[in-house]
Amino acid sequence: MADTATDLLRVNGRVLAAPTDPEPTLLHWLRVSLRLTGTKEGCGRGECGACTVLLDGQPVLACLMPAMLVRGEVTTVEGLGEAAGPLREAFADRGGYQCGFCTSGQLVHAWALLQEGLPRERPAAEAAVRHALSGNLCRCTGYAGIVEAVLQAGGIA
Amino acid sequence: MSEIGARARQLDWAAQTDGRFRYTGDLPAEGVLRASVLRSPHPFARILSIDTARAAALPGVRAIVTAADFPAGARYLHEGAADRAPLADGVVRFVGQEVAAVAADDEATAQAACAAIEVRYARQPAPLGIAAAVRPRALHLHERPTGLCNRAALFHRRWGDFAAGRDAAARGVAGRFVFAAQHHACMEPGGVLATWDEAEQRLELWSPTGAPYYVVQEVAHVLGLAPGQVICREIGVGGSFGARTKVCEYEAIAAMLSRKAGRPVRLILSRAEDFATTKSRHAFEMELCLHGDVNGRLRAIEGDIRVDNGAYSHSGASVTSAGLKGLGMLYRPDGLDMSAALVDTAKPPGGSFRGYGSTQTGFALESLVDELALADGRDPLDYRLANANPAGTTTLVGAKLGSSGLSACLEACRDRLDWPHLRSDRLAGVGVGIASAVHVSGSHVGGETNRSDCAIDLFADGRAHVRFGSGDAGTGQKTILAQIVATELGLPLDRVTAEMIDSERTPFDMGSWSSRGTHYGGHAARQAARLLRERLTEAAQPELGNAPPRFEHGMLHGSGGSWPLGELVERCPEAKGGRLSVQTAYVEQAVEPADKASGIGNISASYNFAAHAAVVHVCELTGAVRLLRFVAAHDVGTPINPTFVEGQIVGGAVMGIGAALGEEVVTEQGRMVNGAFVDYAMPRAGDVPRVEAILVAGEDPAGPYGAKGVGETGINPPPAAIANAIRDAIGIRLTETPFTPDKVLGAIAAASGHRRRHQLWRRPSRWWISLVRWLYPRGLLDLLHRRVEGRFPANEARRIARIDRPAGLKGLADALREGARPLGGGVDLQALRQQGHPGPVHLAAVADVTELGGILRDEQGGWRIGASVTLKALALATAADLPVLGEAIGTVASPQIRAVATLGGNLLQEKRCWFFRNGFDCYKRRGGLAPCYAIAGDHRFHHAAVDGHRCQAVTPSDLATVLLALGAEAIVAMPDGGERRLSFDRLYVGPGETALGLGELLRAIHIPACAGRLSATFEKLRLWEGGFAIVSVCVAWEREGERARDIRIALGGIAPVPIRLGRAERAIEGIVPDDDAVRRLVGDAIDHIGHPLPGNGWKLDAACGVVRKAAARLRSLDARQHAA
Repeated sequence: MADTATDLLRVNGRVLAAPTDPEPTLLHWLRVSLRLTGTKEGCGRGECGACTVLLDGQPVLACLMPAMLVRGEVTTVEGLGEAAGPLREAFADRGGYQCGFCTSGQLVHAWALLQEGLPRERPAAEAAVRHALSGNLCRCTGYAGIVEAVLQAGGIA
Repeated sequence: MSEIGARARQLDWAAQTDGRFRYTGDLPAEGVLRASVLRSPHPFARILSIDTARAAALPGVRAIVTAADFPAGARYLHEGAADRAPLADGVVRFVGQEVAAVAADDEATAQAACAAIEVRYARQPAPLGIAAAVRPRALHLHERPTGLCNRAALFHRRWGDFAAGRDAAARGVAGRFVFAAQHHACMEPGGVLATWDEAEQRLELWSPTGAPYYVVQEVAHVLGLAPGQVICREIGVGGSFGARTKVCEYEAIAAMLSRKAGRPVRLILSRAEDFATTKSRHAFEMELCLHGDVNGRLRAIEGDIRVDNGAYSHSGASVTSAGLKGLGMLYRPDGLDMSAALVDTAKPPGGSFRGYGSTQTGFALESLVDELALADGRDPLDYRLANANPAGTTTLVGAKLGSSGLSACLEACRDRLDWPHLRSDRLAGVGVGIASAVHVSGSHVGGETNRSDCAIDLFADGRAHVRFGSGDAGTGQKTILAQIVATELGLPLDRVTAEMIDSERTPFDMGSWSSRGTHYGGHAARQAARLLRERLTEAAQPELGNAPPRFEHGMLHGSGGSWPLGELVERCPEAKGGRLSVQTAYVEQAVEPADKASGIGNISASYNFAAHAAVVHVCELTGAVRLLRFVAAHDVGTPINPTFVEGQIVGGAVMGIGAALGEEVVTEQGRMVNGAFVDYAMPRAGDVPRVEAILVAGEDPAGPYGAKGVGETGINPPPAAIANAIRDAIGIRLTETPFTPDKVLGAIAAASGHRRRHQLWRRPSRWWISLVRWLYPRGLLDLLHRRVEGRFPANEARRIARIDRPAGLKGLADALREGARPLGGGVDLQALRQQGHPGPVHLAAVADVTELGGILRDEQGGWRIGASVTLKALALATAADLPVLGEAIGTVASPQIRAVATLGGNLLQEKRCWFFRNGFDCYKRRGGLAPCYAIAGDHRFHHAAVDGHRCQAVTPSDLATVLLALGAEAIVAMPDGGERRLSFDRLYVGPGETALGLGELLRAIHIPACAGRLSATFEKLRLWEGGFAIVSVCVAWEREGERARDIRIALGGIAPVPIRLGRAERAIEGIVPDDDAVRRLVGDAIDHIGHPLPGNGWKLDAACGVVRKAAARLRSLDARQHAA
């Protein structure tokens, strides 16, 4: 077994001991043990993207990961912080969500895209956002509002 | 300071974007029992007995309910059909019907207890589709008032003077159309929290619903309670689209469990349950004929419709009736003569779905309107303009159009797209089409459906709070109510709050359905606010003076002074405790329920219109239809919140685009086959262009502030607009949704008379297989299916007991010896567990096993890629030298998956056959004499058309296709510590099955140096962005001047294992093949090996197509490199 020091991880900046139970996924651990219910379960099998969280800045699906194996920095929608304010406002202003159930995953993924940087030309940026967010299903918006919100937050008119 | 027309944010936007907004599954779970439902494995059977003793004895089980726990004969009301019990009462009529339910301390216990309930069934021959249900000797699912076998209802509509219209017509066009069942697929799976209070004899429900009224009425009814004993509480609604506008089946079940257990009970459906057992859109089979005259006028409509009701009548009759109405509202022919039958089938029932019948009939109508125009030599858009109804028209079905923007919508599409230019001068394979739609703004269907109540509280601090009794599933209705109240009271929007759903705190409303929210909610809120204004005005007298009072900036201004509204509250005699409350009932007088016999009536106060135009590209090589542009022009009257209106339009349009291009509920033996997002082809962001929403100017005299409804209309035009565009592009009329590549390519082949010749008589090895395939639909499938149906537990997933984290290969080998299975990204592990497969209980994570990581170049220049390298890392590392790997990886799943999925996991993933994956007890799952459901089932996309044997699945990995072409080898670690190498043509021995022996481990992949000299490209045909390959190809060659040598053509998705097209490779060797040579030589090679199933022969054409596309791309790649 690995030693105690390596069994730590951070969730939204909080240092925590990784669970020792092999059964719960990161998603269930976040939602049940840490009561971070902002991250949603849409399918539980890696097909919808509602449970997207960041692991060391990289979007991943929390429903696929055994929680006991997770190391590093986990960021959920609750942990995006003030810097993500303009992105959240853009989602609200551009019709980036309706029912809101997929929104946490969309926001977290979009945040990572913005950190990585988008192409500066609008057609290329829109295509990049659409391609990247194709793993985040939305049934309400038809995606236009989501894409517009991400482009707006990325400073692309 | 009007908020009407303002792009306000949703009131709850802050909580909705920072994770605080709560849905049912987010409610505190302490002390809450978890529930699981035991479902019927049979489509039609009598229940002989249910024995719950063994389940009840399990520790942690708190309550078990069956039909016996409900009042005798309890049936849902459902528009008077009263045919469905909350739990199956003696008979099951569809696979997945609820038979019993358990509440336990945790989910695993509840599931185990369900599995321990013993139910004995007597199976009966099930009518599994419309054709089977109307056969003379079919068994009746119900006794119906029609007296006819499996006809739940019959309709005959004769409006206007049909004979006169037909006689005046010069030509008729007719067609048979099928609209497939579509699933709502709300992102939040259905679920409820139910709490029974024994002392108070009261039930509280937290259920995501748009219509708490119906939930209360129905749940109270089947539980034998008074409606006042059932209370819905407000909670987030994660989508509805019609799915949550009536009672859902889980509500009453959880309620009864809670009552029996005396504890709160949470029942949340799995995604598979949500897909396969909840109500979907009704499938329609339509025969329609339109008659037009020489002047370009539509004169008469006739036809016959059969609607697949499923096993119970939920909204079947009113959906059928509404679909018929749709035919009588859009244009104004002289007459209509239609008949329709609602047919009971042993399948999951249909229910209400956005568009409500008009989506289906609109597809047929608007397809034929195009045909009529074309037959007449007229432009389809002009034809519609000539037939569009102006305001003031009373249509055949009695709809009185107070306003009509149909012409404006058509013109807006024409102008936006430069329609005349697109129709006359365009690129090959590109087409443009248009279709129109009309919808009600809230139907009056009897009772009090023309009434909405609204309450407003005004507090002494100047805040207003709106209480309204429907639910907001994301439409923005809650915010619109607040915008209206803010406008009327002159308050800033941030001083207005609103609550919905709570059936104790909000007044009467029947819910968010039939696009009624804006009209009824809007009027009710305005009326209540104006009543409040009157009270405040009275309170300000006599000082207020005689000038008309103005409500602005939170103040009431009169000639005699100004008062903050809060101050006036204190002065109102009715105000109590610093709160002035008003409540009003808005009753719409301008509407009438349709006449029962004729179906005629002005059921809505206003009618909203739309025209959508689609520009498509049809790939004649693969059958793939891609939208290039999509314009959606709508007449919604005054948009109260344009952002929300556009959201409804674009969201509706994309849902309609989904129905047109991918979505359908597929069943086999009555069980849903594609009940998973990976198999249900709903649009992803990358599949659709930006839908361009246009709001044409207008206002309706009957609407609040001139506004009309908008929620449903947008879903109706896309199927016909896209079918019309395909017709324009390739001259072929598609009549069955969805227009998937199989149908497009099949139609192209049929039109050209092209047929493949496989010469099976020359291939004795295929004779036995041909015989078995022939026998399958002739009794063999039934025989084998009967052996397995209902014999196995639905869910065999086991708890993961142990995960090791070995730091080296030796530790990993030790773990494997103890029975562990390697764990990479875990992508397939969770999927298989959720699909009910047993899965391993002991895992060994490979992440820290250094020997499995890394990408190294060897001395010869070859690549050694560790099995635990992620797809993302692999694409990055090989971008310069082997870009074809990244090309393929970019098409796999999503960035989230590619970041964790490993090379080894990708190559070794289980077959993706949708029968194997989605609950079918098939041969690969149950062995022996279990059937292969693909042989006679729907095998159009993901099954073998070459070399299929006992199992028809294919190896799903796209990387396997590429690595086969690159001549890669698998490096296998053997249990004794040694290594062996397997070339990729020997790695796979079956679909997703490898030659790896017991205890062997895929350690790395080796790609020889020569692969770096090849030009290579990857092509893939799939149903959605990131979806698995229907067929994929990697074509590679080495260019030597004007010659190409070392040709490699590897195909994936077409055979059980990835294959090289050796015959074509040899024929092409030495030339740079032009498109004609590729078509000829690849076609010949495919004919030589093809042995398709009845429904997947098109994949051979598609395989040729993807090879031609790949070769063309390779030629241009070479040319570019040459030029550089």
